Amino acid sequence: MGNFAIKAENLSKSFRISHLSQSLELHDALERLIRTPARLVTNLFSNSQSATQVTRLPAYETLWALKEIAFEIKHGEVVGFIGHNGAGKSVALKILANIMKPTKGLAQIYGRVGAILEVGTGFHPELTGRENIYLNGAILGMKNHEIKLKFEEIVDFSGVERFLDMPVKRYSSGMRVRLAFAVAAHLEPEVLLFDEILAVGDNAFEKKCIDKMKALAKSGRTLIFVSHKMASVENLCTRALLFQQGKIIMDGSCPDVITHYSSLPNPNGKANSKDE
Amino acid sequence: MNRIMKSTLPKKTKPSDLLVNQSGIHLTEIKPVKGWVPLQLAELWQYRDLVYLLVWRDIKVRYKQTVVGSSWAILQPLITMIVFTLLFDKLVKIETGETPYPIFSYSALVPWTFFTHAMTKLSTCLTGNYDLVTKVYFPKLVLPISIILAALVDFIISFIMLLILMVIYGITPGISIITLPLFVIMAVATAFGIGLWLAAVNLQFRDISNAVPFIIQIWMFITPIAYPSSLIPEKWRALYGLNPMAGVVEGFRWALVGSSWEMPVSILATSLFAVAVLLMGGLFFYRRKEMTFAEVA
Repeated sequence: MGNFAIKAENLSKSFRISHLSQSLELHDALERLIRTPARLVTNLFSNSQSATQVTRLPAYETLWALKEIAFEIKHGEVVGFIGHNGAGKSVALKILANIMKPTKGLAQIYGRVGAILEVGTGFHPELTGRENIYLNGAILGMKNHEIKLKFEEIVDFSGVERFLDMPVKRYSSGMRVRLAFAVAAHLEPEVLLFDEILAVGDNAFEKKCIDKMKALAKSGRTLIFVSHKMASVENLCTRALLFQQGKIIMDGSCPDVITHYSSLPNPNGKANSKDE
Repeated sequence: MNRIMKSTLPKKTKPSDLLVNQSGIHLTEIKPVKGWVPLQLAELWQYRDLVYLLVWRDIKVRYKQTVVGSSWAILQPLITMIVFTLLFDKLVKIETGETPYPIFSYSALVPWTFFTHAMTKLSTCLTGNYDLVTKVYFPKLVLPISIILAALVDFIISFIMLLILMVIYGITPGISIITLPLFVIMAVATAFGIGLWLAAVNLQFRDISNAVPFIIQIWMFITPIAYPSSLIPEKWRALYGLNPMAGVVEGFRWALVGSSWEMPVSILATSLFAVAVLLMGGLFFYRRKEMTFAEVA
């Protein structure tokens, strides 16, 4: 037990990329279900493997979205994950958020984890703003009484108090985002993971968000922030990890890593886009 | 999973004031998962507020922009009962002993309608909540649990209608009514068990969504709703009971109008066995598949 908030060792994630069309998948699964015992039986009676391993094209290909990454993040650090599309940032975040399981490796996180991978997860258009604050808060892991305590603060921050009892489907997209971020920003966990959340909202609100996140960091929380907006990363983070093709190729102070990142050729086009 | 309260940091190493007011520091260990995983009911209990809010959301949203609202919960079994009565009582003349046919069929349609609604909704509880499956962490058993609880509300409404019908027909339940909660639990377990299987498979193979209406249609014929299970030859009854809804429906009927209706024990025995297998299998299958939900969704 060190002085770290997050520690990842040898963390890897692979996906199976199907070369079968969607409609064939069930067929394929059933076929495998029947074939496996059938093959066992035939293998019992013949000692040549070649007869059964016939000329089927590989139906699946393994893609390593993360390849043995390792890092340690101290308590209270604000770290940016940067890299091109498909570099593995979001997969890394999903693994830390416990949404996906790694294929190999280990990550340890001290403290409760709150992850915002998308603004307004679980918002229901038919429910009012007030109702959605409670629902969204619960989805993000807050207890009912915690939300009740913070309710005023959340409403204040969002600036939508006039529309609180209106169904969210009548909100403008900006209002919806503000309300959603307001809930997310009032999470209690010691470790907060944010993915691309500042891609929406106007400049004034974006500044408000950055300020709020800085305040969260100042209060001792550990923040990981995935973004393509280098200005926000530079403004917010003290340290950055640069991802490329599933590996961390640079780990250092924010300006250095960003400079290196902008000098990289964009590999997209040939790279996968599994995670973004 | 793996959210273990493994240890608490000693006070002096606490890195900031923020952590002091926490009850303890969680260590989350994230590592690969293989094979079967435990149910982790304790963690599920931590998320009871979310279950409550999802139940409430479901009930609140269900009858928005409908004209007759929650009367739908009564209309469906009631109209089915009327059609059944015309067909099987007046035309086919199915023998139901002292029990009037409308009560005979409606008392079966109450648990049956609950079962079909719950099963249909459960089968889409993951596909219909894509964001909740792929963008946020919580124990995913929360979703089916909230759906089954919300479905129970409709069940209660249609059950009240059943009580009204019994008053109209002048039927007073005997002592057997005390077994009714058992059959309600059995209906819940059956719907929940089959629903877990369907939900987890449906996420990967959407064929399930197409199959469910068909499954329900066939299942209705092999359940003693329109006819009594006494029509089934004695030696086949135990086998017939492998359909857990046969036990539920007969039990429900017996509990309410037991004085004039005999409980087929052989059916109940195999039904209890079938529902236990279905539920336990469903729970563990769902938990195992949960580890890959975010990938296959």
